[in-house]
Amino acid sequence: MKTLYTFLMTLVLTGAFAQTRISGKVVDQYGQAIPGANIVILNAYDGTSSAADGSFVFSTEEKGAQVIVASFIGYKPYQQRVELNGNAIELPISLKEEINQMEAVVISAGSFTAGDEKRRTILKAVDIATTAGATADIAGALNTLPGTTKVGETGRLFVRGGDDSEARTFIDGMAVLNSYDVSAPNTPTRNRFSPFMFKGTSFSTGGYSAEYGQALSSALVLNSKDKAEMNQTDIGILSVGGQLAHSQVWDRSSLTGKIDYTNIRPYYNLINQRVDWNKPYASVEGSGAYRQLIGKNGSLKTYGTFSHADFSLFQHDIAEPLSKQLYEMNNNYGYGNATYQQPWNEKWSVRGGASYSYNENALKIDGRPMGEVEKGLHSKVTLENSVSDRLEVRFGGEAMVRNYEASQQNAATLQTQSIAFNETMSAAFAEGEYYLSNKIVTRVGGRMEHNSLTDKVSVDPRVSIAYKPGGEGQFSFAYGRFRQTAKNQYVRVNNDLKSEQAEHFILNYQIITSKRTFRVETYYKNYSHLVKFENDNPMLLSSDGNGYAKGVELFWRDSKTVKNVDYWVSYSFLDTKRNYLNFPYSAMPSYASRHNFSVVYKHFVNAIKSQLGVTYSYGSPRPYYNPNNDQFNKDRTPSYQDLSANISYLPKNWLIIYVSCTNLLARNNVFGYEYSTTPDAEGVYAGRAVMQPAKHFLLAGVFITLSKNKSVNQLPNL
Amino acid sequence: MKTFSFVVVLTSIMTVTFAQDKYLSVMQKNIELVYKAGTPEEYQFAINALERVGNAEKTKWEPFYYSAFGYLMMATNEKDGAKKDQFLDLSAAALAKAKAINENESEIVGLEGFIQMIRVTVDPATRGPQYSGQAMQLYNKSLSLNADNPRTLGLMAQMQYGIASFFGSSTAEACATAAKSLEKFGTYSSPNPLAPVWGKGMAESMMKQCK
Repeated sequence: MKTLYTFLMTLVLTGAFAQTRISGKVVDQYGQAIPGANIVILNAYDGTSSAADGSFVFSTEEKGAQVIVASFIGYKPYQQRVELNGNAIELPISLKEEINQMEAVVISAGSFTAGDEKRRTILKAVDIATTAGATADIAGALNTLPGTTKVGETGRLFVRGGDDSEARTFIDGMAVLNSYDVSAPNTPTRNRFSPFMFKGTSFSTGGYSAEYGQALSSALVLNSKDKAEMNQTDIGILSVGGQLAHSQVWDRSSLTGKIDYTNIRPYYNLINQRVDWNKPYASVEGSGAYRQLIGKNGSLKTYGTFSHADFSLFQHDIAEPLSKQLYEMNNNYGYGNATYQQPWNEKWSVRGGASYSYNENALKIDGRPMGEVEKGLHSKVTLENSVSDRLEVRFGGEAMVRNYEASQQNAATLQTQSIAFNETMSAAFAEGEYYLSNKIVTRVGGRMEHNSLTDKVSVDPRVSIAYKPGGEGQFSFAYGRFRQTAKNQYVRVNNDLKSEQAEHFILNYQIITSKRTFRVETYYKNYSHLVKFENDNPMLLSSDGNGYAKGVELFWRDSKTVKNVDYWVSYSFLDTKRNYLNFPYSAMPSYASRHNFSVVYKHFVNAIKSQLGVTYSYGSPRPYYNPNNDQFNKDRTPSYQDLSANISYLPKNWLIIYVSCTNLLARNNVFGYEYSTTPDAEGVYAGRAVMQPAKHFLLAGVFITLSKNKSVNQLPNL
Repeated sequence: MKTFSFVVVLTSIMTVTFAQDKYLSVMQKNIELVYKAGTPEEYQFAINALERVGNAEKTKWEPFYYSAFGYLMMATNEKDGAKKDQFLDLSAAALAKAKAINENESEIVGLEGFIQMIRVTVDPATRGPQYSGQAMQLYNKSLSLNADNPRTLGLMAQMQYGIASFFGSSTAEACATAAKSLEKFGTYSSPNPLAPVWGKGMAESMMKQCK
């Protein structure tokens, strides 16, 4: 017992005598005091928090070699080895700022990011779906952002003086060919992919990452949703069709299937159309998505869709309206992709995937068949390395194999003639992003491409820099050279056409607070190697075309000033000219307009449990070519104006009733004029206006969600 | 030899109990700190003390649970949405550490749901549907681990009440849950001396709304 007593005594005594006093002051790299920092002896309880002046003091009974750790949010932890032997220790601690994703400057030139993940985003995923006038179409909603031009007869994205083929869509980084539905000539189409599939959207109007190629003007990068969280069935009944979707969830995976049927025929029977339909548009689409979690943070995503659409109509001759041709279209479309991502360790991560697009347009004009088939296989691997919290490096390689074939029956011989090409584009890209501090970031990279058609290798630089002087505002600059193979219809005539090129220079200022965004951007774009008709002959093509686009854009969004009201205003000024295709000299292309303006207003009215949305759009007069006028593209259409509204009513938490209507002002918008190819007896070319197929488009729908969890509805889907 | 082995056994038992006592007493003091905190400085002070214990005790879930609770309280006191999110991120990160130690603790899963519920308040229009669904799922999971958890019942009642009043439907279900929560606050006690006890006031004010 005596031994024990002695033992306990020594224990108590050593404890009492071996206390070490540790004191000091915690400051940042500029010498400013950091209050509230945690100072601790590693793996022991002893420690304290720093006071308002950064000072701290505590005593410990720990002995021997120990490690003191000091930490505070937003700073790198400080570590210091010490010897605890009863002698007081004085520690001056200086914490280094950590590059913090929330506070740090980001490169914003040219890009609009939408998603719930990053909080400081300009548009959220749900905004795309609730924008009036867009009828839940991705391109429709993006057309209310600056940098776009409304081209009402196409429904497609036209970005900064570029035509619709220059804006490319990527799903989870994988290319999509033919991302728009087929539509009758001069009637608007829709994006094939529903905005509800995606958790985030990044819409870039220029200066984008070296990872994305084959896009001259714009990259629309859509990130699909992750594994579904709960079993649920969604039913939608619309005035133009219906949809049924079901998600089944397991522990580590989920499967979603969806069927969409669209039939516009009953609607067109009710509302008179300017189009002389024989059989209006109808389509059926089936799609599925499978998600599998792999390991701790890895995931595999697969998605596939297949659709069939058809319609037929009569095209009337411009000079003799009674003479007509039957135009019958059958479209089959398939798209599938699989992507995999896996962080290997703290530093390295890998993403990779493949996609396949298939598009077949079978057309008959007065019974004479013609058609085109395009197939594309894209594969890509990207490696990312976080060298430090200041330097991130990304590099990878990709290949795109395309096969295109057009066929046509010869009217005289009745034999089918076809014309085809195969293209293999292989590319390597590398990019480094370096943070000098939380205030300055630069991104430098390049992209090397080889094209099998021209057998040429190209290297395109991409550079951007962003600076945040303090507070919420920041400046960005971006430069890059971009290239894209000429359109299929020209490459099939001349396989040796060079890639079309554009250089972008972008300067941007933006200030984002949690509920307000202001942004101004100016740019200059220089086009070269555009396709040009030699001697006005569309079968004799060269790459000698060129052009430019420049402009200024403004964006303001505010969801703070008025409660439950969210609105944004966009303005774009565009000055662009091109000398390409059949242009006799440099002129403004017919899809361009100098001024574009949009106001989007959303108001949630609690009393009637409804979200109201109103969108006003204005596009200034567009040029068109009038063969009766000597000067090319000198005539101008009237301005385009549209006021659209929608309402979503939520009477029960599993039920939504939705109604939307376009063009409430009942304006007769004219998009351009078409002229007969030959003059009449007086030498005048007869003309006809290209107009909306109907004054209004009215859509009504009922959406029902069935799940065990009653708090879920399809509001995020609307 | 006998005496020696006796001393060794006794001292090792003593160090273990001593360490356990030390853990309990330090934690009780720190939990008191976080319950009594009001200003961000007081919360940070309490959280720092809890995290010091958490980093030293690799097998105890309580320190990081209370650290997460502290950050969550800081988030509820914060007005600015971006800062609120930052505190919620810190809370979620601390709670993830607790969950890595004990993933089947009803209290941890319940607090996870609470974090998602506060995320909704930053931007109800866009976040409501997604995060309120997740919160509800987590409450259900928390109750499947411990059907008597009065805190989770109280939080669930709030959620049900919010949904019912938004859609103008009956609040009977919410009020029944609130009553059950209040009843469990009276009867339920955990064998764990460090188990959370917060949330009774919340259930009481919920009941007042029901009357």
